[in-house]
Amino acid sequence: MARNGRNRLTRSPTRIRNTMKLVLQIEDNHANRLLVERVFEQMAGYQLIQANDGESGVGLALEQHPDLVLVDMGLPDIDGQTVTTIMRQVPELQNTPIVAITAWPEDKAQEMVDRYGLDGCITKPIDIRQFPKQIAHYLPLDS
Amino acid sequence: MEVLAADQFTLEELTEAYNQTRVDYLVPMPMNVAKLREYTQIYDVSLPHSVVVVSDDLILGLGMLGVRKNRCWITRLGVLPYGRRLGTGSTIMNALIERAGNHNFNKAWLEVIKGNDPAHRLFNRFGFTETRELIVGRRPPAPNKTPPPQEIDRVTTLDHEEAIILLSHRAKRPNWLNEVETMHNARNLSALLVELKNGGRGWVTYHAGLLQLTRIIVEVTAGDPEEVTATVLHVLHQRHRRQDAIAENLPDDEQWLGFQRMGYFDSFRRIEMVKNMEE
Repeated sequence: MARNGRNRLTRSPTRIRNTMKLVLQIEDNHANRLLVERVFEQMAGYQLIQANDGESGVGLALEQHPDLVLVDMGLPDIDGQTVTTIMRQVPELQNTPIVAITAWPEDKAQEMVDRYGLDGCITKPIDIRQFPKQIAHYLPLDS
Repeated sequence: MEVLAADQFTLEELTEAYNQTRVDYLVPMPMNVAKLREYTQIYDVSLPHSVVVVSDDLILGLGMLGVRKNRCWITRLGVLPYGRRLGTGSTIMNALIERAGNHNFNKAWLEVIKGNDPAHRLFNRFGFTETRELIVGRRPPAPNKTPPPQEIDRVTTLDHEEAIILLSHRAKRPNWLNEVETMHNARNLSALLVELKNGGRGWVTYHAGLLQLTRIIVEVTAGDPEEVTATVLHVLHQRHRRQDAIAENLPDDEQWLGFQRMGYFDSFRRIEMVKNMEE
């Protein structure tokens, strides 16, 4: 279950290991974070943590080792591309699926995915009916 | 609507308003307060000359004005979603042009993201014409075990002051983001002067952060522009292997081919525009 924090970092309760899939969302826009949080509340088997900028997102990823990272490409400090390059250089996160959530045109978004070694992208604004399936595609519960 | 000077607002208020203008933008580039502060300092943005448009105490939009000798630069212009279709954009432009006119600037410059047609048309209506297309290039870190494109004779490492001297002697007119004043304000630049065995010569200035290489400018002073550019960048990225690289507002010329050979790609483009204020 996601928790909204007052601080830059949104800290989850101690992760319930081996039973829940942990998803980290890095997104600066409060409304977008809230929307994703509401969708995750309906998704059994997934636990969401959130960060509102790149630096705290990387910190949270290093601390919590999520099973999936959802990253907004436009962040106020370091952008999603640089966040991805940092994570890909950390051994513990090298194989973590990283998915961009972006409003960029499809061809540009795909180029970013290919160039930066992301695992995919989800178009903004998210479709709340499709979003759970999209998450399950990148992070199946039985993986 | 009322037009107020931007210095009547806190940086927090300006940042919040600016980010709201970019929520549905083509290439959203949100800021935080620290970034906006840095932006105003590096690009000589004058908050007393910049404007915020309000109605009933609600911010509808804003626009900023960079000020340098004889010229100014319109930047960070945006209209919040609920301020659209009310003439807010025109109000901002009128106010900025008026302020620019009061200070006898020769020219006013701006860039618009390619594809942002409503903004492009707005700027045309206010007398701005296109000068050139500029590329924002990105290059993720990548191992490069290939030899340099051209054989290198010597590489000289230069400091910030020496980098500024190099930047002061460029052949082509730099864009506002890459002018000497910007680079001077950015501080902590480095430079590499690369001399090739075939007589080619070029240099690169840049800022090496922990995570990113930015402020990348390459100049070729002798030899083939593409080959020398590629070789200079090869040297740069051999020395800085782990950083993500951003090269902003590059002209679309032979040097860009050199950038591409070293792994840069076209992230998005800007159209530079100018208005002759003396007309």
